[in-house]
Order: sequence, then C-alpha cells, then structure tokens
Amino acid sequence: MAVEVEPRLQPVEVNAGSTILTTVVGNYPKIPNRPRPARLRAAIARFDRGEISREELRQVEDEVTIEVIGEQVEAGIDIVTDGQIRWEDDQTYIVGRLEGFRIDGLQRYLDTNTYFRQPEVVDAIRWETPILVDDYRLAVANSPKPVKAIITGPYTLAALAQDKHYGSRRLLTLAIAEALNGEVLALQAAGASIIQINEPVILLRKGDFPLLAEALGRMLQGATVQTAIYTWFGSVEGIYPQLLELPVDTIGIDFVSKPENFTILTSEPFPKQLGFGIIDGRNTKMESAEYIAERVLTLKEQMPGQIPQLYLNPSCGLEYLPREVAQAKLARLVEGARLANKQLGLQP
Amino acid sequence: MTALLTTAVGSYPKPDYLLKARSEYTQGKLPRQELEKRERQATEYWVGVQEGLGMDILVHGEMERGDMVAYFAELLDSMKIGGLVRSYGNRYYHKPIIVDKLKWQGPMTVEMWRFTQGLSEKPVKGMLTGPYTMVEWSFDEYYPSRREAVLDMAAVLHQEAVELSKAGARYIQIDEPAIHTRPDDDFDLAVEAFQIVVQDVPAEFHTHICYGDVERIYPDMLRLPVKQIHLAFKNSDFELLELLERHPFAADRELGVGVVDVHNHAVESVEEVADGIRQTLRLMPAERVWIEPDCGLKTRTVEEAEAKLRVMMEATQVVKKELGID
Repeated sequence: MAVEVEPRLQPVEVNAGSTILTTVVGNYPKIPNRPRPARLRAAIARFDRGEISREELRQVEDEVTIEVIGEQVEAGIDIVTDGQIRWEDDQTYIVGRLEGFRIDGLQRYLDTNTYFRQPEVVDAIRWETPILVDDYRLAVANSPKPVKAIITGPYTLAALAQDKHYGSRRLLTLAIAEALNGEVLALQAAGASIIQINEPVILLRKGDFPLLAEALGRMLQGATVQTAIYTWFGSVEGIYPQLLELPVDTIGIDFVSKPENFTILTSEPFPKQLGFGIIDGRNTKMESAEYIAERVLTLKEQMPGQIPQLYLNPSCGLEYLPREVAQAKLARLVEGARLANKQLGLQP
Repeated sequence: MTALLTTAVGSYPKPDYLLKARSEYTQGKLPRQELEKRERQATEYWVGVQEGLGMDILVHGEMERGDMVAYFAELLDSMKIGGLVRSYGNRYYHKPIIVDKLKWQGPMTVEMWRFTQGLSEKPVKGMLTGPYTMVEWSFDEYYPSRREAVLDMAAVLHQEAVELSKAGARYIQIDEPAIHTRPDDDFDLAVEAFQIVVQDVPAEFHTHICYGDVERIYPDMLRLPVKQIHLAFKNSDFELLELLERHPFAADRELGVGVVDVHNHAVESVEEVADGIRQTLRLMPAERVWIEPDCGLKTRTVEEAEAKLRVMMEATQVVKKELGID
C-alpha cells in the first residue's frame, strides 16, 4: 500500500524509549544468483545422487551459513539468525528430528507458492537429542552480532501435521510443546540469549489461542533467557491484546500483509518488546528509508511511553525473495532504523 | 452423440534433443532459429502420438514453454524475469516481476497454435495461463494492489484469447492452478478477471485447476464462466467425487476428469483407469464427461507420458464399449 511520506527534519518530541534495533524473522535465501555459484543447491543435488557424503554436505551448509550471517551483518542487522540454511522447511527440520513423526507428501505452505512436506504423527512424540544446538554454536562462533535461535512453535507444528496417534489437537500440541521444552533448555544451556518461537498458524485459527498459551507455557518452562513469539501473514484481530499475556518478552507482528494490524496494535497499551514487521518479505519492491522511519515515528507518537524496545524486521522470513533482493531490503531496513533513531534523537 | 471425449491438459515432456537445445540456446551456443526448429520437430512428434492414439482434441504440448508463468512474462515488456526463489526441497524457479503497466503487445501463443493446427484435422486447444495465477506467481513492483494487477492481466489475456479465436481456435483452456490460494479474500476477483478474459470471445473455454485445496472452492468454482472444469481426480483416488455427491456439478457444464496421476512414475492399469471412469459416470452423464490426465505430463519421461496416454485411451474404449457408445 502507498503511504504518503512527509519528511521530518527535526527530532520529534516523543517519549522515544531505547534505541531502535533491527533483526530478521528467520530464514534467509539459500542460494545467490549468477554470477555467484549456487553452491548449496549443487551440493544437495550431488548428495542426493550419492556423489558426496553427509559430512561434505554439512561442510557446505556450514560455509553457506557463515556466508549468510556475513550478509546480515554487512547489511547492518543488530540481531541475526543462522538463516535456517539447513532447514528443508519450517516444519520438517524440527519434527523430522523428534521421535514419533514421519514426513509425508507436499502441501502448499499457507497462502504462498511454496510447499512443505506434511508431518504425520505416528507414535508418541519424544525429544531425544538437541536439534539446533550445534547450528547455534556454529552461528555464534561466526557472528560479531548477537544470534537468536529460531524454533517453529508447537501450535503451528501440530496444526500443519496429520495426527494418526493422539486423536486430539490439544494432546498433540502439548506433546510437541513438552518435547520442545527439551530443545529450549538445551539451547539455553548452550548459551542462547534469545529464543524465538514462530507461530504463524495461530492467526488462521484464533479460537485455539488458549491452547497456544498453554503450549508456550509448557515449552518455556525453566526458560530464563529472552524469548519471542513471531507471527506472519494475518491479522491479530481477535487475539489482541491477549497476545500480550503470552509468557514471552517480544511479540512479532506482520504489518505488511495486514496493514490494519497497525490500528489494532495502537488500540491498546503495549508493554512488551515489539517485532515491527514493516518491510515486505514477499515482494521485490523496495521500501524507502523515509517510509520506514515515518512508520516508526507514527507508531511512537501514537503509543507514547510504550513498547520498551522496538525491533524493525521484515514481515516474514526472507526465503520468498531472491538472495540479492533480501540483502538489499535488510540494508534498507537498517537505513530506515538509523533515520528513525536520528529523528527521535536516539543514539544508534 | 459425443461422449467421453479425450484430450490432454497441456504440457508433454520435452525430448532430450530439445532439452539440450534449450540449454545451448540459454548459453548462447545455439541460434534462436535452431531452437524453434527443434520445438516444432518435438511438437510434430506429440501431434503424431496423440493422433496415433485416437485422441479427440489435441494439445500442442508446450514444447516452447519452460514454465507456464515465465513463458508469458518473457514476452511482455511490462514483466521481467527475477532471481531464483525456492519452491520446496532443492527446487528453485525464476520468479517474474511486474515492473510496468501490463499491456498486450502482440500474439504470444498464436503462431505455435497455428503451426500445430496445420498438422492435424483434429481441433487443437489454445492454451493460456489465467490472470490470477499469472499475478499470484509473480512479484509486483508496479501496482498498488493485487486487484489492479489481476484485472490488467485479464485484459492482456483477453486480447490473446481474441487472437486465438480469430486464428480459428475452437477450444481455449485457461489454467488457474493458483485460484484457491486465498479463496476467502480473492475468489470473487479471480472470477471477475476470468470473465474479462472470455468476454465475447467465440470459443469454448475450459479451465484446469490443480494442487491443494480444491474442496475450499467447490461449488464456488462453478461460477467460473467456462464450459469445462478439469480437476485432478486420480491423484487422490477419486476422493473429489465426494464433492459432486454433496453438491451436484452444474447441469450446463462439462467435467474434465483426470484419470492418470502425473506425479507417479508407475503406469496405471487399464482396469484401474476404467474403474475411475465408471465411478465418475455414477454421478455425471457420459456426454458431459471428458477423459484426461490429471495435469500436464511434462514431469514424466516421454515413454511414461505415452504409456499413460495409451492406458487412458484403452480404458476409455473399454467403458465406451460397455455403454454401447462407438
């Protein structure tokens, strides 16, 4: 949508709070475009043909992970992820490494033109060994910026799975939450300082909000680190302000696919940290730094003294974009954040 | 009486020599003319296959198309081909970008249609990608809303349909595999756009819808202004027939029934396919049923595609004989 932008040259007198930071929602495009080589794509193809070993593929995944952390850092992002380079899709990477699941055929992912393999629950779900800890350690060792760990949440995993064991959405969701509690504690023990849980599907089935709250409580039992929940592709109407009651520090909301989320958000006090999904992770059209700053200033003006920490981020993961556009968008996001900080008189 | 007419959904696999030619052309090692020569050679091959099998309405096989959206995007100045994005697993595609106001500049599909029709006495279908799918599977850097983009795309495709009809195409198929992406928000828009495409064009229009949640747009899909709706029945072992049991198919429409699975290497048996046709005929009269594969066959090998078509034709003959249709 087009929003009129009036340049603001003077710092604005609002209770601005702390410096605005930038982050990402999760995944990052796995391969670059020509002339850069698509190394991961080639390596996976060779692995599938039995031409390279699991270890050799792992080596390429490591190198590409380091490369995409570098791209986020180069763009100026304050809190990065490992880009989820190893993830087949948001579901498979987690549930394929838990006991009790089988991975089945392709399904369309929400309203995108991408597909994921549908998990099938065939037995009692158990967490046996850490899934993300090695990935997290590699990322931290190769990032000059803080890294957040990403886990797809229990509600979304349950909702996108086919249950052939539990016979109840609630029991299944809670069983996944219980299993993922093991992962949360393992990440925490490995030194993770921020753990983010992605729960996009709750926006499609808002009646299940109490179940999401119960599941997150269970998943985060014993968590003492910073936590976040991120959503995308939908309106928060109907589960806002209840979202604020979730046992997490940061709430991430997509303001691109549903601009009305802005009005919904500003209708209630917001005492948490906000992940402000303000640039479009699904379209190549570039936002201007002025547009980004304008949105931030409007938010700050409408919610004075609230939102103790604002994070600017894309509306969703960046894998819907070509790699080069994703990086350019992040650089633009950082530019927008700098402009907003300056206009608000905050130290970058 | 015509009954159980047979046709195909659109694409056939490209023979090895054409795949090689396409790759050489991309690398600048083969002139355009040479590539086109091989596209025509492959088209002649598939016309021969379809005639040999006795199919009623032919398709040209899309030897000149890589991808159903990118093909048109490459021909329109208002679109360009973007970078690679991942579809699933290790599969990537170049997603087109709308960069300017969409305008029809000249025929995009007529020459190939005319060439193919020149090879056969049987009617050859014109093949277009629908306006909603064209926009939904592209980035958009120009339009402020999806609605404006889809409606302008519809005007472009309308002009193309007019040209196909003028050239003599009696049947035009418009594929809309993305139509159920956002049914609550966008189904009305998709129908409105479809109406623009077909408006006052003297041809029989068909549509093909596949992937995902077909259930969510039935019976709404009966609002599409087409004579025939084709659905992939075999892939879910004819479970979609339940939809027709719950809500009868419109009496003035024809149903295209996908009877062989295009995503499976294994070739179905004649009996299995005949049984699928018989199941359909419990709900639909034979004169309103067309027999087809589930989808385009381009992901199969040439041999698999031919074997599947052959089984489809034999099974249709078996059922026709049972019904006493010649």
